[in-house]
Amino acid sequence: MFDWSVITQNLDLLGWGLLVTLRYTVIACLLGLVIGLVIALAQLSPLRVTRMAGMLFVEFFRNVPLLVWLLWSYYALPIFAGIRISREAAGILALSLYGAAYYAEILRAGIQALDHGQGDAAKALGMSPLQAMYRIILPQAFRQMIPPLAGQTIIQMKNTTLLSVITIPDLLYQASYISSFTYRPMEVYTAVGIIFLIILVPSNYLARRLELRNH
Amino acid sequence: MIPVQSTADPLVELRDIRKCFGSHEVLKGIDLDVRPGEVVALLGSSGSGKTTLLRCVNLLDQPTSGRIAIAGEPIFDRTPDGRDNARLKGRDIWAMRSRVGMVFQQFNLFPHMNVLANVMEGPRTVLGEDERTNRERAMDLLAKVGMADFADRMPTRLSGGQKQRVSIARALNMRPAMMLFDEPTSALDPELVGEVLNTMITLAREGMTMLVVTHELGFALEVATRVVFLDQGAIAAQGTPQQVLLHPENERVRTFVNRFHATAELMRPLLST
Repeated sequence: MFDWSVITQNLDLLGWGLLVTLRYTVIACLLGLVIGLVIALAQLSPLRVTRMAGMLFVEFFRNVPLLVWLLWSYYALPIFAGIRISREAAGILALSLYGAAYYAEILRAGIQALDHGQGDAAKALGMSPLQAMYRIILPQAFRQMIPPLAGQTIIQMKNTTLLSVITIPDLLYQASYISSFTYRPMEVYTAVGIIFLIILVPSNYLARRLELRNH
Repeated sequence: MIPVQSTADPLVELRDIRKCFGSHEVLKGIDLDVRPGEVVALLGSSGSGKTTLLRCVNLLDQPTSGRIAIAGEPIFDRTPDGRDNARLKGRDIWAMRSRVGMVFQQFNLFPHMNVLANVMEGPRTVLGEDERTNRERAMDLLAKVGMADFADRMPTRLSGGQKQRVSIARALNMRPAMMLFDEPTSALDPELVGEVLNTMITLAREGMTMLVVTHELGFALEVATRVVFLDQGAIAAQGTPQQVLLHPENERVRTFVNRFHATAELMRPLLST
């Protein structure tokens, strides 16, 4: 039935694919978090304009399917904006901005849920809003937000599989390549599923441990 | 005893302070001066606007209109029709706040820092003071409020009274020109009120200028140099504690004070057995 030699003979390709997937996951998550934080702060700003801009950003990316947005940024954006971007850049851009919208919502909710007295105490000491944010508010809010942030990061990793449609050689791309010349898609895609499980189940467990330790 | 009226320039000048939340006017034109060394007790039933007035002093809440000056410098000046005569830049407001200490009803200690780090946080972040001087003064202040042995504790492991004493030390570590207290003992179990009041009494005796929103009539009577009674957003009475609390002329003040006497009367039979 299952012929696992297909996998063992192509371990190098799967390995390369996995490295690409991990690289895109890490970069897209970090960039997404940074952009997400900026968007969250914009949404909490006293200025109406920035609040609106932040809200539009979030609404846009949460309501356009990632696949559509990914294809659009690779094929259509260069035409509209008149710039040429590599498929790597398009992939990173699309994934980061998409993730940023979700991170922004998590961060905004976490910051808003924090007791207002904390901000009052920071301000009363003479802190600027920025100082209060990074010394007092964010360190506390982050702790509360570890579980949803970890959850979003796991989704982000799974989302990288969509990169294969713009021919970025990630794990899924390699899998379809291998099955194209071995004619054994069942084994190959099963292996890909197992690889994701092996990586994500322990990550989930670690995130939960981290959450418990902070309480 | 009638306290000597200080003639020095006021540290805080509030003129015609009005504050609306929506259509509800919480403060209806308050005039109040606090002079150096004065301990002013702000009394009044809940909803009378005392906390809002206190929070206006360091602009944690912004008045709808009125004038505020701290140490002679105008920090807020808006006419009733909404025109700004003086508008401070953010950085000037932060600098002003760093010279005015504040203590909150809910303590608001930073739960992710231990006691010592809480006390050191202001000078560290706001003034960029060097670690050693800051730490030494912080430890002195913790000793002063009787919390030196708890320097390494996390705030969650302290009692309410201990938290409040740490928060007083945290405010004092900025070496403020004056202190604002927002019902500092209202969230405490009755047996813990004394330790916080004692700390405040020490401060008052040392000459700290204090504006205190409180329900502790005993404290007001013993420690305050002046009592200001707010009723529905306006000053209903003010004067020495003796005048206002022991010989109230104002009807509202009399009912307010009598309510406290009434509770004391109710307690009496319980106490004598």
